[in-house]
Parts: sequence; structure tokens; C-alpha cells
Amino acid sequence: METMTLKLRVWRQPSTATDGELVEYTASNVSPDMSFLELLDVVNDGLIKKGEDPVAFDSDCREGICGSCGMVISGVAHGPKSATTACQLFMRHFNDGDTVTVEPWRANAFPVVKDLVVDRSAFDRIQAAGGYVSVDAGGAVDANEMLIPKGDADAAMDAAACIGCGACVASCKNASASLFVGAKVTQLSLMPQGQPERDRRVLSMVEQMEAEGFGPCSNEGECEAVCPKEISVSHIQTLHREYIRASLRRITST
Amino acid sequence: MSAVVGFLASSIGRKVTMALSGLLMFLFLVTHLAANLLVLVDPEAYNEYSHALISNPLIYIAEAGLLALFVAHLISGIAVWRKGQTARSISYRDNRWAGGASHKSLASATMIVTGTFFIIFVPLHILWFKFGTYYDAGNGVRDLHRLVVEEFQDPLLVAFYVVGMAVLGFHLWHGIGSAFESLGVAHRPKVRQAGRMIAVVLAGGFMIIPLVIFFTGGGF
Ligand code: FES
Repeated sequence: METMTLKLRVWRQPSTATDGELVEYTASNVSPDMSFLELLDVVNDGLIKKGEDPVAFDSDCREGICGSCGMVISGVAHGPKSATTACQLFMRHFNDGDTVTVEPWRANAFPVVKDLVVDRSAFDRIQAAGGYVSVDAGGAVDANEMLIPKGDADAAMDAAACIGCGACVASCKNASASLFVGAKVTQLSLMPQGQPERDRRVLSMVEQMEAEGFGPCSNEGECEAVCPKEISVSHIQTLHREYIRASLRRITST
Repeated sequence: MSAVVGFLASSIGRKVTMALSGLLMFLFLVTHLAANLLVLVDPEAYNEYSHALISNPLIYIAEAGLLALFVAHLISGIAVWRKGQTARSISYRDNRWAGGASHKSLASATMIVTGTFFIIFVPLHILWFKFGTYYDAGNGVRDLHRLVVEEFQDPLLVAFYVVGMAVLGFHLWHGIGSAFESLGVAHRPKVRQAGRMIAVVLAGGFMIIPLVIFFTGGGF
């Protein structure tokens, strides 16, 4: 099988507090069937054999469903192939001799922990601020007791496809978390179970989003283009509607 | 009250302010263009129309309203831009547009620049025309048509207006569609395309006026 040789320029940063820099590595014998993370594994093997510090990056499932992996590859979050996580990006999408720059998500709300690993706990705090529903304790209710229109269920499912990887933030010129928050708010607000907290949820989540230092949405749609789950920007418009609605209700009730 | 302030100060509230003020100014521009085109077809009607406007005491309220929209758009726009700037201190070494589903454009990437241009353009525009030479057309009607035709004999001024309107078209290319999305209207490619077409038509319409006057010498 034909193999490729690539020049990698990888962001190396020992810790949050230290400065980082791009370091060049040559990766040879790269199989087109390797994933991008497997490529980094091979590079790391070489580094470890030489007694050097391997490149730190996040990964877990390696099948595109957990949202752990994430890095900017050749200037695009998760790399040049759309609807694909870095772990599902295969080397056949690159050419022999390519120079590939690999950088961590860049956002002040996502500080670099080490190399390509960033701290995405800001997303957890947004989620904790309102991304939940209250459920009664006690016996499980009958499965069909609460009727949900098929369209709503499908739309909520589309929003729930978000794996929280953070590519939307990474790709946005404002480092906005609007697509993430929009997906989470939409998912719950469409469901009858999400109604009691509907206003409070969107107000709290947006407030937390701002407190974390994410930027505003400029409606450019880079986020949708890089989203591995192809979450539509229409969720951001839903977020705006929900936020306007909740704000108006708060204003008129005080 | 704090709920109102909280909304207006939030990033979504600022986008809503920016969208509403922008769309209202856009509607004003549509009427402005329609009236301006009278310069080319019927000078008398143009003068009468402008007389009807400036002789109506409500004009002061309208002017104050336009100024308020301009200022609201400016303040919210700068606030949004600044918040975006502060969200990423370290930029990418290699940064490319994603393409595909994205509708990022040179226009969307330069909104702050094209918008800021109007801080210069609008005062000059008002100075040259509203506060330009007063010609009397008789019966107390101002001969604004004569002023417009005279002003647009200057090639520099014509160039400035043509460039200015190109900048306006560029701003609206992204602005119209984006404003609807900020207000919560779900993104639709057709709305975006319509917004871009309207931007081109509006900017083109404004551009035609100085160009026609300049190349015909006003003797049409
Ligand atoms: S490692 Fe789970 S999505 Fe990539």
C-alpha cells in the first residue's frame, strides 16, 4: 500500500501558564487508512522512543460520538472534511508532502491545559446553569402518557446530536458558544418535560455563557460548517427567540 | 427596569438592538432612494417632495429618531465587536474559512470597518446637502435639485459617493440577512439571497444618481 510523508506543525505548550510554539515533526510511512489521531499516536511513539514528551491531545471513543477529540487542523476545526471529528478524519483526505498545522481550540473560555488539550469545563458550567429538566421521583409513568408530536421529537433529536466538542467556539471569529447553547436550549425547550424551567433555563444559560467570556454571534455560520454533527445555525435563531421571549416575560412580570 | 437593562446589555440584546436599528435605517434608505430618484426624472416633484418634508414640523422628531437609530446601531455594533475581540486573545497561526454550510464572506468579516465608514460619510453627506447652499426655487420652495446637480459636477465628490454606496451595499450584503437571524428568524438561504440582492439594488440605485448627473452634466 502506498504511504505518505507529511510535515506536521504542532502546537506545543507545557502548561496553561507557559507560552507555546509550533514545533515541526515529519511523519513518514503514513497510511491513508489511519485516522488523524492515529497519526498523532505514531508521532508520539517516535517521540517517546527518543525520550521526548509526547503531544498531549484528548480522545476517548475514537468513533466520532463522544466529543472529546478536537483540534484545529490546517486552519479548520476538526480538519478539512465537513461533518467529521478529528478522530474520524482519515489520512486519505491529505496528500503526500502536505504541511499540516495542528493547533488547540483557541478561546479565552477554553484555556490550553497542555499542547492540544483545552479545558472545556466552561461548557459544563453552562449546562449546569440550566441545561436540565426536573423529573418527579417515584414509579415510571406509562411510556405513552405524554404525547409528543413527531416533528418536535425529531427536531429535539437533531439538537441533541450535539456532542459538546467545542468546534463551534473554535471556528467562530468571536469564539461564540451560541451554537452549543442554542442546541442545548432547543433540545429541552421543545419537549413538554422542558417547559417548567423554560424561561429560567435560557436566561441562566446565556448569563453563564457571557460570564465564561464567550463572544456574541455574528451570524456567519462557520460553526455549522465545522460541526461534526451538522447542528444547524437555526438553533441559534431559536436561542435568540427563546431569550427574547423569556426576557419579555421577565420584563412584563416585574 | 433591571430586567430591561439586563436584556439590553446581554450579547443577544445587543444583537437585537443592532438588528432592529439596522432594519429601520434600511427602511428609511428605501424611502430615501425612492425620493432621490425623483432628481433624475422630475426636478420639480423632487423639490416639492423635499419641501413637504422640511416644512413639516414632525421632521425634527423624524430626524431625532434617525439619529437615535444611528447611535443605537453604532453603540451596539461596537459593543458586539469588542466582546468578540476579547473572547480570543491568542489567534490561530493557520486560520481558514470552513466553506460548505458557512456563509462567511468578505462582507461579514468587515462589518465593523464598513460600518465605521458611515461615521465619516453621514455627517459629510448632511453637511453637503442639508446644509449646502440654499437656492430659492420660488414660492419659498428650496431648489434642492440645483444644489444636487451642482455638487455632482465634482468628480471627487462623485467618486466619494460611488465608493460610499459600494461600502453600503457591502455592509447590507451581510447585514440584511444577519439582522433577521438576530431577531430569531430561522436561517434560510433564500432570505439571505434576497437580502444580498436588495443590498445590490439599493446601493446601485444610489450610485446611479451622481453618475448620471455627472455624465449628463445635469442637462437631462
Ligand atoms: S474521540 Fe470521541 S469524538 Fe473523537
